[in-house]
Amino acid sequence: MMRTSRIMPAIALAAVLLGGGAKAQTIKIGVNEPLTGAFAASGTYVVNGAKIAADEINAKGGILGKKIELVIEDNKSNPTEAAAVAEKLITSDKVPVLMGAWGSSLTLAVMPKLIEYETPMVVETSSSSKITTTGNPFIFRISPPSSVEAAAFKGIVDKLALKKVDFLVINNDWGRGTAEDFSKMMKEKGIGIGLVETMDQGAQDMSAQLSKIKSSDSETVIVTTAVDQLTLIFKQAAALGLKKRIITTGGSQNPDQIIAQAGAAANGTMHLTTFLPWFPEKTPNPEATNYFVSEWKKRGFDFAGCTESFRGYDGIRTAAAAIEKAGKAEPAAIKAALWDIDVKGLNGDIVFRKSGPAGKESGQSQPNVYLIEISDGKVDMKTL
Amino acid sequence: MSEFLQHLINMLVLGGTYALLGIGLTLIFGIMNVVNFTHGVLYTFGAYIMFIVVQQLGLNFFLALPVAVVAGWLLGAVIELTLLRPLRGSDIDTTMLVMIGAWIAMQSATLWIWGGVAKSVATPFPDAPLVLGPVSVSWLRLFVLAAAALLIVVTYLLINRTKLGCAMRATFQDQDTASLMGVNVDLIYTSTFAIGSSLAAAAGALLGPVYVIFPQMGDLAAVKAFAIVILGGLGNITGAVIGGFILALAEELGAGYISSGYRDAMGFLIIIAVLIFKPTGLFARSERVG
Amino acid sequence: MKAGITILTVAAFASVPLWLRDPYLLNALITTGVFIIAAMSLNLLLGFTGQLSLGHIAFFGIGAYVSALTSLGFDIGFPGGFRLVHEPWPPIAGFVLAILIAGLCGYFVGLLSFRVRGAYFVIVTISFAEVVRLVALNWVELTQGPLALTNIPSIAIGLPGLGELTLRTKLQNYYLVLAVAFVAYLLIARLVHSHFGRAMRGLMENETLAVSVGIDVTRTLTLAAVISAAIAGAAGSLYAHYIRIIDPEVFAFINTVTMVIMVITGGKGSLAGPVVGGLIFGLLPVVLRPIMAPEAQWIAYGGVLIVILFVLPRGIVPSLAQRLAKRKREAATVAPVAFSERAKEPA
Repeated sequence: MMRTSRIMPAIALAAVLLGGGAKAQTIKIGVNEPLTGAFAASGTYVVNGAKIAADEINAKGGILGKKIELVIEDNKSNPTEAAAVAEKLITSDKVPVLMGAWGSSLTLAVMPKLIEYETPMVVETSSSSKITTTGNPFIFRISPPSSVEAAAFKGIVDKLALKKVDFLVINNDWGRGTAEDFSKMMKEKGIGIGLVETMDQGAQDMSAQLSKIKSSDSETVIVTTAVDQLTLIFKQAAALGLKKRIITTGGSQNPDQIIAQAGAAANGTMHLTTFLPWFPEKTPNPEATNYFVSEWKKRGFDFAGCTESFRGYDGIRTAAAAIEKAGKAEPAAIKAALWDIDVKGLNGDIVFRKSGPAGKESGQSQPNVYLIEISDGKVDMKTL
Repeated sequence: MSEFLQHLINMLVLGGTYALLGIGLTLIFGIMNVVNFTHGVLYTFGAYIMFIVVQQLGLNFFLALPVAVVAGWLLGAVIELTLLRPLRGSDIDTTMLVMIGAWIAMQSATLWIWGGVAKSVATPFPDAPLVLGPVSVSWLRLFVLAAAALLIVVTYLLINRTKLGCAMRATFQDQDTASLMGVNVDLIYTSTFAIGSSLAAAAGALLGPVYVIFPQMGDLAAVKAFAIVILGGLGNITGAVIGGFILALAEELGAGYISSGYRDAMGFLIIIAVLIFKPTGLFARSERVG
Repeated sequence: MKAGITILTVAAFASVPLWLRDPYLLNALITTGVFIIAAMSLNLLLGFTGQLSLGHIAFFGIGAYVSALTSLGFDIGFPGGFRLVHEPWPPIAGFVLAILIAGLCGYFVGLLSFRVRGAYFVIVTISFAEVVRLVALNWVELTQGPLALTNIPSIAIGLPGLGELTLRTKLQNYYLVLAVAFVAYLLIARLVHSHFGRAMRGLMENETLAVSVGIDVTRTLTLAAVISAAIAGAAGSLYAHYIRIIDPEVFAFINTVTMVIMVITGGKGSLAGPVVGGLIFGLLPVVLRPIMAPEAQWIAYGGVLIVILFVLPRGIVPSLAQRLAKRKREAATVAPVAFSERAKEPA
């Protein structure tokens, strides 16, 4: 045992040196995603989307005459590991730009490393408003924070004739942020706010919260959580005879999975989403959407994963566009170029606007938000 | 008032589930003094067996249940024979850590084989719930409650009315004496672990279709099972059943009338309170220090 | 002899940054070091009093939150219109407060949970850690709940006449962690060899006998819990100021499990045990990362854990020390058996 413990750092060192020196003829992009632990399913979807983008770019000859290479590392759904992975990608693998890190606490843990090594990161999923407001000039986010979603929803609420709403949200930055931003927006519109109920991430039985909501005097429930809990909520709401209108937010709803798993219970529900894989012709970039969806199916992935994985696809295309614009694979140049790009993303043009304290602003793009409705087991686009 | 009735109904269906989770663990914990961290993995295992039999092999839902029970029994026996038997006589923390190692490895293996995306199982029960005045409950959950009750009764009879159960109880009370009286302690340990594991797998197979199936589903279930076992007293089946319903009641009323954020805290607060005022659990038969 | 080994070990650790240039590995060593400090504190309870606490992360997390909130400031309201406003203090004050408050929590938790033993104690400590996690998650006004505390400042050390030195770089943080680990090690070693240490071991070996010779059980155990919690709080504070963001996930059960693994594989009741176990299980993920798939890394992690426990059930350090002592005995005359080797059948 003594001998092994002396050899192990040497093996690690050798592995790092070998990995670092082998391929200098590619341009690397670091991918920091949860592949094990609580968020494994989502992180894997995003990585699969990222791979489609990389293969597509390389099939067209790469960028700057070189192929791009994704260096994918697992952050184990753990903030400490997310920071360590960023450290590895930047210092050992020498990637000039990162994409990551799915969850907000994972992204927040990576952020000090970005400042330390002056390396930019494209944030593809995290929704916490803190990410773009605390003055980190290396952050470029393509996913909408809940305030952007609330602002988009503002134009829709009048047509839905809401009077009073309850909230049922996951107890993390995403759910809490949504409840806060949507309540604020709705109060401005004169809509009453009833209960704000939370559920723990990973909780499987929401009957208690739903029973409470069933007895309230609101007519609508806003639900924010990941697809698995949504499925359970629809099933359990149906079992309790909850007859209120349900609107979900957050954009990772996977309506297909909901239809497949919740069955009739999903009928009549509405969903605020950021991507429309069901109606490629209605997306801002139909050609790319068609390509992405067909490639996704060709690789044998679950169609339901599209609403998560498209972010990985867009994230890598954003990073690649910035490298191309910069003309060289160097962090400072890429960071500067990220401000100038205009990528036709799957859910709208990716153009970064300044956000946060002056002098050290983060970049935030404004993706589109759509409202869809499930009726008779099919997804319908709500015309508004 | 109708909200309160609905909470009570929810408590009943949830409590039956918790009781089933608790009884398997209380046997292992009480008789073998092993802090069994694989309980949650076996719960997950039972759920995946259900998924394989119903969704992938296309076989009958009701056939899948006994398959899961037998598979859980076998896996439990294998774990006992390979991991626990060689460490007989070790500290409680050494065996606990081995169980933690098995938990980490098996959960990761599940993730590797099946991926992290949640699966669901189709059931033969109607989607529309049974409505009784102001309250309603799904048919599937009523079936789960009935099946759980049946399993609990069978286990109770097994422990209290059979020769094997008698030997298990003897081992629980005094291992050395039982051994002197001709009880094959090795066999008792393997049987206990296998029975406990098959109950965990049965719970997973029953609840997998109610919820969704994913690799980490067992973690929360295991924590609740530990809480129930401590509430009811180690090795006490009746205690575990009552403990399950108490936990369910505390969670329902806690989430309904106090704060849903603290829903899961209710169970833990009860445990802390119970152990402060009655350190051997609510229904302990005998204290066990070790 | 023993002091010589300690000095050599510390010198070896101090020399690491001279030859290890890779910042990623240095980062791994710093986080591992923080967890080793926490594991050493857990060893005081688990190894020297025999109480298996599975809620030790609570004190680590409390230390992290106290330290972060002290240096960031907060403004909370209480029922009745009373408000408590705290202006940011220097991080070093946070470090001290983290130790004090974690120790205080250790006192109360010890007082309550030492009423039970064995499996019951295990579950009470898990419950306590879960309740603390849920408070951190839901008391949003104070802890910002899942929104996380961000921009936690780095620790600054005031040097008389030289002004302040803010420890931002990895090199500085490495030496900070090493220094705190060394102090914690000396403190625990001192404690274990004192009268109090003998009382603890007496309790572990035979509680009834210990009581009959006049050892105050509750007082001894509570004091051990206070010191253990205080050191864990110090580790938590280091963690918060190094990672610079904390959220309620810091209380995750897997973090407690990591500490327990470090202590038991290294050898509970052995001073060097948590250091050896900590280095192995802190760096194992680093070694596994480049050579296998993410899921396989976890399977290997669990497998290595099981194998170590099967081959060396009493932990690496005690088992090796025993073998070494045996060889010496065979070579020379009878050597005294180390105190840490309890009269117990190796399983």
